[in-house]
Amino acid sequence: MRGRIQLKPLETDIRFTHKALVEKCKSGHSSSQYELYELYVDAMYNIGRRMLNSKEDAEDIVQESFVSAFKNLNSFNYESTFGAWLKRIVINKSINHLKKKQLPVVPMEVHEFHLSEDSPEEKVDAMDIKKVKVGIGLLPPGYKQIINLYLIEGYDHIEIGEVLGISTSTSKSQYHRAKKKLVEIINAL
Amino acid sequence: MDNFEKHIRENASEFDEHKADRSKMWAKISQELEVQEPKVIPLWKSPMLRIAASLLLLLGLAGFIGKQVFGSSVETQYASKELLDIDMHYKSLVSYQVKLVQNNPNLSNEDKTEFLSFMDELDAEYEQLRIEMQNNLDNERVLEAIVSNYKQRIELIENLLKQINNSKLNDDDYGYTL
Repeated sequence: MRGRIQLKPLETDIRFTHKALVEKCKSGHSSSQYELYELYVDAMYNIGRRMLNSKEDAEDIVQESFVSAFKNLNSFNYESTFGAWLKRIVINKSINHLKKKQLPVVPMEVHEFHLSEDSPEEKVDAMDIKKVKVGIGLLPPGYKQIINLYLIEGYDHIEIGEVLGISTSTSKSQYHRAKKKLVEIINAL
Repeated sequence: MDNFEKHIRENASEFDEHKADRSKMWAKISQELEVQEPKVIPLWKSPMLRIAASLLLLLGLAGFIGKQVFGSSVETQYASKELLDIDMHYKSLVSYQVKLVQNNPNLSNEDKTEFLSFMDELDAEYEQLRIEMQNNLDNERVLEAIVSNYKQRIELIENLLKQINNSKLNDDDYGYTL
């Protein structure tokens, strides 16, 4: 009884979501693997689609990510949720895939001096999510990833820096530049 | 974070508009997982195979050590027999000639001690070669070095004796011309 009382606050921690399932998967239980897959596959597939802009590439990357996650599940120690851990694998694999294809993952132009230009707040007529989706779709190569990572995946600039292999300050300036472009596009729609 | 950013982050789930082809993707994932897993583990999980592998390893090790010990002992025996023969032959030759030099009345004490110090040097070298021989380092080469050591000694003695004889001859010739 005492054990259960002590464990309770830990078990309710968000990081331990689907812990029982994850533990079963760690011991190679294949039906648990499928259960976990079903829970996360759509979310991961959508991340892949956003990052890669291709149905086939997204499918390949998500498959690879699940295989890699199940094989390396023992290194998952509940430092984050399972979903966040898996999402990081999908994002890392997507970025590597883009780099292999030599597609830009960050805007190419020089960006350091653009930060001050952002200060006057631009009015955005963008409360319509549909418009935002179209706007993101129209962003030039290299802008899309940083917008996706910050706005939709909810990553902060430290995480984006790690994923894209750039510094935190570069991530900030690149993001502001990309956001400016997005606002321009949405306003022109 | 401005309102625009907040609004998008709050509605991020609306961006999940696609549905994955679950069965198709799972087929590939399970195929990959099946291919990789059974490869290594089951072999070592079987206790019979574990014992067999251990036995094989032990046999291999025993064989290797046995060969090392037995093989090398035969080799050293053979080499030391050969060495013994060579040793006997040259030792008698050297000691005979050393005696000749020592007993030679035509040599000064200085020449004798100089000659003997040379011989001592070669003796020391010979001792080192014998130690080397025991360490079993490339027998053939050590053996050759021992032989050449002996040859040097004999050459040294022969040269000395030649010198003595030459000087004798010169003296005789000199006497004749006068």
